Amino acid sequence: MLKSIKSSRFKISVFITLLALFLAACQKPAPYAEINFAMAQAPLNLDPRYATDAASARVNRLIYQSLVDFDANAKPIPSLATWVQVNPTQYRFVLNHQRAKFHHKKRLTAQDVKVTYDSLVRLKDSAQAAEFANIQSIQVLDDETILFELNQPDRNFPAKLIIGILPQDLIIKKHDFSHHPIGNGALKFVSWQNKLTLSRVNDNQKISLVEVKDPTVRVLKLLRGEVDLLQGDLPPELVKYLQTKPEVEVNTVKGANFSYMGLNMQDPLLENIKVRQAIAHAIDSNAIIQQVMVPNTRIAGVILPPEHYTNALSPTMQPYAYNPVLSKQLLTEAGIQLPLKLVYKTSTDAQRVRFATIMQAQMQPAGIQLEIKSLDWGTFFEDVKQGNFQLFGLTWVGIKTPEIYVKALGSQSFPPNGFNRGHYTDAELDALLANENWPAATQRIYQQLPYIPLWYEGQFAATRKDIKNYAPKPDGNWDDLITITRQSLQTQQQKAQLQ
Amino acid sequence: MIKHFVDFVTVVFGVLLLTFLLIHLVPGDPVEVMLGESASVTDRTALRTDLGLDQPLAQQFGSYLTKLSQGDLGYSIHTKTPIIELIKTRYPATLKLAVLSLFIGLAIGIPLGVFAALKANHWQDFVVTIVSVRLSAMPVFWLGPLLMLLFAVWLGWFPVSGMDDSTSIVLPALTLGLGLSAILTRMTRTSLLEVLNDDFIRTARAKGLNENTVIIRHALRAALLPIITIVGLQMGSLLAGTVITETIFSWDGIGRLLVESIEKRDYPVTQACVLVVALSYVAVNLFTDVLYRLADPRVKFGA
Repeated sequence: MLKSIKSSRFKISVFITLLALFLAACQKPAPYAEINFAMAQAPLNLDPRYATDAASARVNRLIYQSLVDFDANAKPIPSLATWVQVNPTQYRFVLNHQRAKFHHKKRLTAQDVKVTYDSLVRLKDSAQAAEFANIQSIQVLDDETILFELNQPDRNFPAKLIIGILPQDLIIKKHDFSHHPIGNGALKFVSWQNKLTLSRVNDNQKISLVEVKDPTVRVLKLLRGEVDLLQGDLPPELVKYLQTKPEVEVNTVKGANFSYMGLNMQDPLLENIKVRQAIAHAIDSNAIIQQVMVPNTRIAGVILPPEHYTNALSPTMQPYAYNPVLSKQLLTEAGIQLPLKLVYKTSTDAQRVRFATIMQAQMQPAGIQLEIKSLDWGTFFEDVKQGNFQLFGLTWVGIKTPEIYVKALGSQSFPPNGFNRGHYTDAELDALLANENWPAATQRIYQQLPYIPLWYEGQFAATRKDIKNYAPKPDGNWDDLITITRQSLQTQQQKAQLQ
Repeated sequence: MIKHFVDFVTVVFGVLLLTFLLIHLVPGDPVEVMLGESASVTDRTALRTDLGLDQPLAQQFGSYLTKLSQGDLGYSIHTKTPIIELIKTRYPATLKLAVLSLFIGLAIGIPLGVFAALKANHWQDFVVTIVSVRLSAMPVFWLGPLLMLLFAVWLGWFPVSGMDDSTSIVLPALTLGLGLSAILTRMTRTSLLEVLNDDFIRTARAKGLNENTVIIRHALRAALLPIITIVGLQMGSLLAGTVITETIFSWDGIGRLLVESIEKRDYPVTQACVLVVALSYVAVNLFTDVLYRLADPRVKFGA
C-alpha cells in the first residue's frame, strides 16, 4: 500500500515537473537584463492626446501607432494606413491589413481611429485639440476605412494625423492613458514609479527610462554601468570626455532641430533690416559650432533643414559671414548711434547662457552691447509669448511640416493665433506662403531676417559597449529603442541559430 | 502653549496667502501651458472657467481655503494626479533624507567640535578648523558629484543616484550631512570654549569629577542651546527639501516637486508643497522649543 502511494507521488512529481518544463518552454523568451536609458527630462503625459513635451512625444511614438509618419525628407508616409484625397475637403484612409493588435489584445479597427480623433477634438484641456478644429466629421465606412471631412481644404492634413490611436473600449471607459498607456506600438507599458518601464512586444526585453537631471550625473551613471544609454542634452566637453572612455561608444548624427535668435519687429531699432543684417554679421556661428557644440552641428539657414523636401529646389543659402566691420558699417548706414544696446533673453540653461556670453563678446567689435537676461523657463517663455523682449534664443524641436513658416512668420499668426512672436509682417512672404512656393518663401525669409538663423545642433547617443543596434536620429527621436539589444543577447541568439 | 498655537495658525495662514499672491503675480499662465499657443480664445476661456481661474483672486483664495479645511489639496493641473498622493510619495523621501543627513551631521560635527575645543589653538584644532571651513564652503553641486566619483564610480560602493537601491540614500545624505557637520563643528567649538572658562566648570573640576563627566555632562549640556538653534534651523531647511541635492541625486523629494511645479506653473501643487514646507518649519521650531526646555530647565514656554 505504502509502496503504491510512494509510486503515485513520484509519478505526480514527474508529471508536474514535466508540465512546468513544457509551460516554461511555451513561454516567450525570459526577459533579459533591463536596458536603462537616462534622460534629462522624463515624459510628463503618456496620453498622446495631451502630450506636448518632446519626451512624451518620443515615448508615445513607441507605445502607440499613428495613421501617418514621416520619411527621412520629412514627407508624410503611411504608417497604420494609406490615404487618398477624395476632394479638397475629404481624405479617405485605409488601414493596413497587417497591423499589430492593441496591447490588451483587441484588434485595431476604423472605429478606434474615429473615437480617438472624436475624443481629441472634444477635449477642452488639450493643446493638441486646436490642430484638429478643421475636422467637420469622421465617418467609418467599414472596419478598415475612415473618411475625414474637413471644413476648409488643407493640403497638409495627412501630416497632422500623427496622434497615436487609442482603443475605443478604453476611451469610452475613460481609461487613464496618461499614466497607464495602452496602444499597439512596439513597446508596451509595464510600470511608472521612479522610472518608466516598458517591455518590447516581440521579445519581452525590458527598457527603463529614468530621469537624471544633472548632465554630470548622467555621465557618471553611464560610466558605472547603472544606465546603458544617454542621448542628447550634454555639454560638448562631456561628450568629448565620453569619447575617450573605452567602455562607452558615442555616435553622432546631423541634427534637424533649428536654433535661432528671435527678434522683436515692433522694436523701432529691429524693424530696420540693416540692423538685423548687422546683428547677423556680428555673430560667428561657425566659431561657436567648432568650439562649444557637439560634433555634427551644422550652420543653419532656414527653419527646415537642407534635406527637407521643401528645400530640394531651393538654392543653397550662404550663411551670413562674421564681419564686425561690415556690421558696424550697416549700423552706421541705418543711422544708429554706437554702441547699439540690445537685451537678449534666454533661459537659465548653462549651455544657453554660454552661447549668449560668447555672442555678447563677438558682437562687441561690431559696436553692439548685448545685455544678457537669463530667466527661469516659465518667466522666459512667457516673456517670449507676450512679445516682452528685444532678442531671445530658442530652438524649434521636431518640426516636420512647412506649415511652420506660416505659423511662425505669417502676418495672421501673432500669438495667440500662432507662433509669430516677433510680430513680423510681410505681405510678399504671406503671398508666397499662401501659394506654397517654398523655394521663394525660404529665400525671402533668408533675405529679410525675421530671425537670425544659428545652427542645427548635432544629435548624439552614448551607449555602453555591449549595447548594439541603437543610433541617434536627426530629430532626436528614440525609435531605435525598438531594435536596441545587448551584445550578450545577440551572441546568445547567434549561438542558438548556429545550433 | 496657546500662544504657540496662535503663532502656528498665523504663520501658516501668512505663508498660504503670500504664496497664493506671489504665484499669481509671476509671469506664466497654466492655461497657456496646458493648451499651447495655438488654442482658440474660446477654449482658453472655457478652461480658465473650469479651473476657476476666472474668479477674483480673493474668491479663488477663499475656495482654496475651504477645500483645504476639508483635506482636499486638489489635483495637479498637468498630471491630473491627486496632490495628496504626490505629497504622500514625495514627503517621506525628503523626511528620510533629512533625518539621515542630520544624524550624519551630528555624529561627525559634535565630536569634532568638542575635540577642537579641547585642543584649542593646537595643530589639531587648526586641522579641524581648516577642514570644517572648507567643507562648509563646498557647494553641494560640487561635493555631490565628487562623492559620486569616489564612492560610486571608482570604489563602486554605492549607486551614483536614484532611489532603487537601499544604499542609494547614503551619498545624498553624506553630501548634506558633511556640510551640516562643518557648521556644527564650528558652532560646538565656539560654544564649548565659552563655557569651559565658566565658574561652574571650575567648580566641577575642583569637586574632583572625571574630565569626561565635566565635559559631557556639564560643559556640553550648557553649550547645547546655540547648537540646538542651528540644528533646528538646518532641520527646517532639510525638510523644506534640498532642491539641488535632490536634483543631483535624482531623489524624488518635496523640494524637487516644488521646483518642477513652479516651472510648469502648476499652482495647486506649488501651494500644497509650500504648505507642507511651512508646516514642517513650524513643527521643527516647536520641537526645538521643547528641546531648549530639556537642555536648560530655566527656559520656559512663552517666556
